[in-house]
Formats: sequence, C-alpha cells, structure tokens
Amino acid sequence: MSSSMRRDLAAGAAAGLIGGLAFAWAMQAQGLRAAAGLAGLSSTGTGVALEILAAILIGAGYGAIFRYQPFAYAATISSGVLYGLLWWIAGPLTLAPLLLGRGPGWSLQEADAALPSLVGHVLYGALTGLSFYALVSLYRRARPGAEVVAEPPAAPTRRVVILGGGFGGVSTAQRLEQLFARDPHLEIALVSQSNYLLFTPMLAEVASSGLEAQHISAPVRAACPHTRFVRAEVEGVDTATQVVRVRASPSVPVETLPYDHLALALGSVPNFYGLPGLEEHTFTLKTLDDATRLRNHAIALLERADVERSADERRRMLTFVVAGGGFAGTEMIAELLDLVHGVLRYYPNIQAHEPRFVLVHSGERILPEISAPLADYALRKLRTRGIEFMLNTRVAGASVDAVLVGDGGRIETHTLVWTAGNQPHPLLRTLPCERNRAGAVVADTTLRVVGLDNVWAAGDCAQIPDVNNEGRPCPPTAQHALRQGQVVAGNVAAVLRGQPLWEFRYRTIGTLVALGHRTAVAELRGWKFSGLLAWFMWRTVYLSKLPGLEKKVRVALDWTIDLFFPRDIVLTSHAATPTLAQTIGARSEVASAGATGPGAPAAADVRLEGGA
Amino acid sequence: MRTADTLVRGLGAGALAGLAGGLVSGAALSRVGALPPTASLVRADAAVAGFVVHVLIAVVLGAGFGLLVWYQRSGAGETLFWGLTYGALWWFLGPLTLMSLLLLGFLAWDVHSAQEALPSLIGYLLYGGVTGLALALLRRDRGETAPGSWWGVVGRGALAGLVAAWLLGILLDAQGQLHAFSAVMAGPARSAAWIATLLIGVAAGAGYALLYPRPPEGTGPGLVRGTVYGFFWWIIGPLTVLPLASGGKLAWSLEAARAGFPALPAFLLFGAALAVGYQWLDGLVRVLFSDMVAAADREGLGTEGLRAIGRGALAGLVGGTLFTLVMIQIGALGAFARLIGSASPLAGLVVQVVIADLIGVSYGLLFRRQSYDVGSALGWGLSYGFFWWILGPLTLQPLFLGTAPRWTAEVAAGLFPSLIGHLAFGAGLGVVFHLLEARHNPWWVPRSRMEAARVARRKEQVLTSAPALWTLVVAIALVLPIILGM
Repeated sequence: MSSSMRRDLAAGAAAGLIGGLAFAWAMQAQGLRAAAGLAGLSSTGTGVALEILAAILIGAGYGAIFRYQPFAYAATISSGVLYGLLWWIAGPLTLAPLLLGRGPGWSLQEADAALPSLVGHVLYGALTGLSFYALVSLYRRARPGAEVVAEPPAAPTRRVVILGGGFGGVSTAQRLEQLFARDPHLEIALVSQSNYLLFTPMLAEVASSGLEAQHISAPVRAACPHTRFVRAEVEGVDTATQVVRVRASPSVPVETLPYDHLALALGSVPNFYGLPGLEEHTFTLKTLDDATRLRNHAIALLERADVERSADERRRMLTFVVAGGGFAGTEMIAELLDLVHGVLRYYPNIQAHEPRFVLVHSGERILPEISAPLADYALRKLRTRGIEFMLNTRVAGASVDAVLVGDGGRIETHTLVWTAGNQPHPLLRTLPCERNRAGAVVADTTLRVVGLDNVWAAGDCAQIPDVNNEGRPCPPTAQHALRQGQVVAGNVAAVLRGQPLWEFRYRTIGTLVALGHRTAVAELRGWKFSGLLAWFMWRTVYLSKLPGLEKKVRVALDWTIDLFFPRDIVLTSHAATPTLAQTIGARSEVASAGATGPGAPAAADVRLEGGA
Repeated sequence: MRTADTLVRGLGAGALAGLAGGLVSGAALSRVGALPPTASLVRADAAVAGFVVHVLIAVVLGAGFGLLVWYQRSGAGETLFWGLTYGALWWFLGPLTLMSLLLLGFLAWDVHSAQEALPSLIGYLLYGGVTGLALALLRRDRGETAPGSWWGVVGRGALAGLVAAWLLGILLDAQGQLHAFSAVMAGPARSAAWIATLLIGVAAGAGYALLYPRPPEGTGPGLVRGTVYGFFWWIIGPLTVLPLASGGKLAWSLEAARAGFPALPAFLLFGAALAVGYQWLDGLVRVLFSDMVAAADREGLGTEGLRAIGRGALAGLVGGTLFTLVMIQIGALGAFARLIGSASPLAGLVVQVVIADLIGVSYGLLFRRQSYDVGSALGWGLSYGFFWWILGPLTLQPLFLGTAPRWTAEVAAGLFPSLIGHLAFGAGLGVVFHLLEARHNPWWVPRSRMEAARVARRKEQVLTSAPALWTLVVAIALVLPIILGM
C-alpha cells in the first residue's frame, strides 16, 4: 500500500469520525436511531459507539475509493454526498432491515420513513468530504516533502528484451504488458527486423493474389502499445554483461540494450543445405515481401508467356515447382494453381493444358504431420486438379531456368519455391549454450535456456521438451510459439516477483491445411474433416486468430469480394523479379542430365523437414 | 496554495454570481410565497425583508461557491452543473436543517417538511443554476479557446435540439402534457404546443452548444450531461417559465410539481438525445470539415472495440446479478418474463440477464476509458443505471407489453424499488468494467512522457463537472420520487 493510500485511509477515517459525530448528534436530536441493527440494542451508549465506529470505517472507505486530488474542493464534497447517498441505500434501506430479520426495505413507504436518514447521510457525506480534504491539505502543508506530489513516470528498474517479432515474441510482449499493467518500473523492449507480426498461414493466399499483403499483418507497435519497439538487426548478444547489440541500419552505429531478462523468439530461416543455386534462384515464403515478389513473378511470367513464341521458353515460364511437401508447400502449390487457372482467361494465347505444377517431396507421402488418410485425400484431390507429385525425390540444385532433382532429373522452370527446410536463426550459434543438431537452443520445460542465466526461449528457435510426448521436442507451429511466449512472460514475472515457475504444457488442438479452391483437410484431436466443411473451418479458425479487429474485418471483406470478382493480376512491380532479367538465352550454369562433373556438388543427404 | 489574490478574485466573482442567482431565485420564491421563513430569520414579516435577507444569503453562498469551484475547469457547462449541485446541497443544509433549527428548534427532515419545502428546493436549484452560469460569464478570461465559428456551433446545437424536440413532443403528447405548452402561444392548441415544443428544443439545443462548444470525448459522459441538462430545462420550462407566461404563477407547489412530473422523464430523455445528437454532429463535422489534422489524436473508434464489448458484457453480467437479487427480492421477475410472453420466472431470469448483458455492452462502448478510479467508475455507472431506469421500466417495458407508458408520480414511486435495483446494477457495472480495464489496460498509469501527457489531459477532463453530475443524478433520483410520490 502506498503512502498516499495510507494517508487517504487515515484522513478518511478521521473525517468519517467528524461526520459521524455530527450525524449521531443530528439523529439523536431527531429522536431517531439510525444505522444498522441498532434498534434492538437497549443501551444507547453502545449504539452510539457502534454508529461512530461504522462512520469511521465508512469514512476510511471514502478515502480509499475517492482519494485525494489537489484543488478539487468541490469534487471532494460532491463525491462525499454521493458516497453518503450510496450508504443510505446500503444501510437503512438494505442492511438494517436484513439484520432485523425483515427483507430489504426498498419500497417507497420505507424510503419515506427513512427520508430523515437520507438528509442526515447527505450532510454526513458533505461534512466527511470537506473534512477529508481539509485534513489531507493540512497534512500535506505540514509535511511538504513527505511524498511525491505528482507521480512522474519512474525510471524503469527492470528491463526485459525480446528478440524477434513473430508469434513468440509478440505474445511474450503482450502478456508481459498485461502482467505489469500497473507497474511502470518494468521496461519491455522488442527488437525485430520487420515492424509487423506476420500471420504466416495466410501468406500463401497473398502470394496467389487472394488477399492483400497488409491485411494479414499487424504492426507490432499497435499490437504492443506499451512496449518499446526497436526495428533493428541484432548484431550479437553478450550474456556475460547481459547486453544486446543492435544496429538499425548499416550506416548507423551499434546500439546496446542492457537486459535483466532476455527472451529469444528469433524463429527460423530457410535452410538450403548448401545446395548450389538455391539461395539465388528460389523464392522463399518468410516475409510479406517474399509473397508479393512471388505473386508479381508469377503474373509477369504469364504476361511474358502470352507473347512468347519459343516453345521451350514457354514451357519454362509456365512450369511452377515447389520443393517440400509440408503444409506450406502443399498450400502454396494449390494456391499457385488457383491463381494461374483463375486468371488464364485474360491470356488468350496460353492454353489451359500448358501450365504445369510440380511438387517435389523427399518423403513417401506429403503432409507428414497429419494422418495418412487425410494426406492421401489431399494427394488425390490435388492430382485430380492437375498437380504433379514427385515423391521420394530431392532437389539437388537450381539455376535460372531449371531445377535439378534426384538422380539427374531436370525440370525446366523459372519458378522454384523453397519450403523444404528451415533452420533456427544463425544468431543462436553465437550464444554460449547448448544447441541441438539443427542449431536451436535447448531449453527446459520452464522455457529457460539451459546453461544461461535469465535467458528464455520460445518458438522455432528453441527445442523445448513436450511433457505430453515423453520429452520429444515440441513441433514448430504458430500455436505452440504463441503459448510458449505467454509462458515465458509468466515465468519472467514469476522470477521478478519471487513466485514459482510455470511449466509449458500444451497439446496441439488441431491442424488445418488449406488446399485451395474451397478444399481443406483438418484434424482436431482425432476428428478428421475434409472438403468444404474443412475449408469453412480453416477460414473461421484463422480469421479468429488474426491479430486485431481491423485486420479481421479487412480479410473478411477481401474474402467476400473474392466471391464476386476474379483475382487481381495487377503487377505492382516489374523490378521484383530479377530472375526474369536473365530469361531468354541464358544458359544453365549447372551441369545437366545427371553428370556429376568436377565442381558440381552431389545432392546433399539431408532429411527434409516439413515447412513451417 | 491559494494566494490572497486568487482568494479575493474567487470570492468576488462568486459573490457577484450569487447576487445574480439570488435576485432571480428571490423574485421567484417571493412569487410563490416561500420567503416568510427567510424573513423570520431576522424577525421581520414583510416580504421585502425576506427578499433582502435571501439576496444577502445568496451573495454569501455565492462567494463560497466561487471559492469552491475556482479551480475546477472553467467553461459555462461545468459551472452550471456545479451550481445546480451546490444549490441542491444548500437546500438540504438550509431550509431543512439550519433554518428549521434556528426558527423551529428541530430538524425538519421528515417527508412532510420536505414536501412543504419543495418550492424552496426548486428555488435553490434555480439559484444554483443561475449562479453557475453567471460565474461562467465572469470567468470567461480563464476559458478555453473559443471554437472557430460560434455560428456553426450554435447552428449544430439548434439542429440537434430540433431533432430531439421532435422526440420530446411525441413523449409529452403521450403523457398529455403537451397542452401546457400551448398556453404560451396563440393559435390552435395542438399546433401551437408543437411549435412551442420545437422552439424550446431549438433554444435548449443552442444553449447546450454554447455551454459545451467542445463536447467531451466520450459519448457516455455526454449522455449523462444531457440528462441533467434536460432536468434543468424541466425546472425552467414546465415548472417556471411556462406557468409564468400563461397564468402568472409558478408551478412549484407540491400539487403543481406532481402535475408536472410526467414531463420530467420526457425532458430527461430529450436532454440525453440532444446531447448525444450534438456530440455526434460535432464529431461528424470535425471529421469532415476540420483542418486540424495534426491536432487529431484519435485512436480510432474501432481500436480495442472488441475488448470494450467483451468487458462490457462481463460487467453487465455482474451488474445484472446484483439487479436479479433485487428483482427477486421484490418479486418482479414476472415482468421480464411477460416481455417474451412467458410466465415462468426462469424465462424472466434469462431475459433479464440478456438485457443486462446488452446494456453492459453499450456501457462498454459509451464509457470506455472514461473512468480512472473506482470513484469515477461508480459515478458513471450509477448515472447510467438511473438513465436505464427511465428508459427501461418507465418507457420501454410498458411499450413492449403493449400499453402506453405512464409517467405519473405514483407510477414512479411504485417503481422505486426498481430504481434501487437499477442503481445497484449501474454501480456493479461501472466498478466491474473499471476493474477489467484496470487489469488489462490502465490507461491512466503513465508509461512514458507522452502517455503521461495524455493521462494528465484525461484526468483533467474527468475533473470537470462529472462529480457534480453523478451526485445530482443520484440525489434527485432518490429525493424526487419520495417527495412527490406520497
């Protein structure tokens, strides 16, 4: 309890005493006994004493509820009157009859009988308010330095720094804001390269022109209004001195952020496994920029193919390859097919049979995270639509006009979307702690990073044992990252307040995969759904998870408009497709048709994980 | 921290304002014949002596008023409501307590004495209102910057008043009170009455706009202000000016006030509609025509909209529970059940919970970010609960049940327990909503200098006439039915 609250309580009690004395005198002058349950008391002395006691307590309540405000003379008196009126309702009308065994007396007759008490309460309240103000003013004048007059924003005494602005980081910041809503002594800082929280499940639809890019992301500053947001790259973390070094741009000097607690939520970056040509010639799906570039690229290819005469070049332009048969890859290939076939009518020179869609997957079946029947259903559905599947095949390399697969296969294409591998953020390699084979930091069940003090981790960048699954690592999904972030926040608060830590416990509620064109598959705690119903579920669930009412409305409007109008083929940028700059005439730089000549690396032996 | 200079200025301005208020109210009171008690304070009998004493008392009280409200935010709208509250408080303290002590030797706090003192209640309210307005005029040098165009402001107010007056006319007509307005104008009774009503509406609207050229941010506080403003116009209109103009008498006696009581809810609703309409109109004009783009610090109406709705629903549930307890106690659940044509108390319970939830949601949308501590939350909640007592059992419930609403004093008195229930509902609603807001987003806790500035502005805004409004609403809501109902 702060000193000002103590002062207000004491002054309120004293003021209540003054008011109570006046009230008791007035009631006695009227020949009435007021206040609760005293009519049965024979001794008037005790009755009066109880009345006075009640008045003191009620006065203290006034001090606690209405508090002291300098210069608010009139407000104090009128609040006192209001308070007195409320106690008239609560006391003589309600509690007194109850204590005497009757029901509450709210009828007009009883109110009439209690009118003298009402006037008494009004004057009691006014007197209490006036005395309260006078007492506190005198007290403050007598001890001028006793307390801080205003309460300026105190300098923060604790700092929490969160690295990463994805689901994990933003949910940590939001939960910390809630937990420390009344405590200005904690400063929360969030460092991220992008200033928005990206809603990755809908990224495929952005790439296929089904949604606007800005509508699926919420600015971090809006989602976390009480967090200090730093848009910068993290240069390094010094765990010994508990400092994070960030740099907003290459031309700006490095800034240091000291921390008392650090939360790592850096997520994952694409992993190309050292395969040649992938980093330069593929599209990834990690940011809004990626999705927009892919969309522009696809539409630009359609534009070029419409006037292209060379059959080889047309084939390259109209073949779309996606590597990785996890959620992201499957959704992406389905959306690409929807996009191309949805707008094909604008391009009269492209025949319907020309566009080709290929999904390359290293495993036996696509969508390994969900159950086999649903995965088979997805495979059949997409095959019916015309998507080719190359299963048990790995991508070996890429160039500007071809993709090398497996043992010497070659697909002529200008578009390769890479969703076949993720690795934790490379910054984690610089931390002096234990990491797993993929490079993620190892954390315990309370999400504390093993081996480091006051460092926590959540999301894709961490390996967290799943208590429900015998300690196997939690899957890298958004729903896990979100809840891990909340537990990190709760545990940081627990450490700061000396309370026991929480364990992270979560069982996946369900998984939903969209398959384009009103089809999806969903699995919720064992219940399987497919087709139109699953598609409704997918849209409903993800719409409800979208951060912010504004974005929900915008996405809902986008989807509604999509029902009536075709997809948009507006090219927002020509320069976004460097690959196209090297189209016609460019020679492949990687040896063709299976040759493993000198200098050409063999296809790396890696286990392809599903995309995030 | 008052310097002698401020002391003198506050006293002086207040005394002058009190003089104005005293003259007006003294003239009215002498007309009603309520001044003899005042005269006997100086042991004289002549009405003139009473008048002089009254004016002297008024000057002294006015000086005190000037001191008290000197540091409140200036602006005609604020001091008017402070004046009304001050006048009401002095009615409790003066005629009921001090004067009867001095003259009769005992405290005249029972119902009969209060009923006899009813004319002086209205007189004191009038005194307070005039004093407040006069003080606002005298304090114009401390006023906030004038709006760009006074004509635009008055025009908007008049327009809002016109639309609200149409509503007023319908309500008055339903109560059979419209004829009272016709006596002022010449011509066929009905159309004359309607014209009089519309003129009153325009005047009230223009007056409101002059009082509040810059309406506060929240629609909820505006609604409460409008309600009290309507109450003030009920005193001025049907009780004072109209009877004076038509018959030369004031309608301040008990019987006359009872006869004029049915117009009160009409005026309250009229005031609320006027205030809300004016606020929206002003907001619309500002959005469409204002050039002050840089000064707009709007967060947007939709920000945290879902959260406000959610908190309001939850708070409405809690408040509704309190209300249910009251209703069960007085056995009124059946009325709710009849709303949907059923007879079981369970149906009544469900209906009532749903209604409480909806009202809670509306509270969340209207009053979000308007209360910064439990006291202000209580105040707004109670005022909103009272507003819904007028709108609910008095107006909408009879309508839904198929009968015409009757607003006589007896009906209101009969609904007194429901008033208690609604006040309890409002209090619970306000406090719970505030606690929910505090848990998740206490906007009054500064996190940075920029936020501190915003916090200071909001605090200052809340320290306007809001405390006066809360107290006045509850006091009048409790006292009037008691006095007029028996």
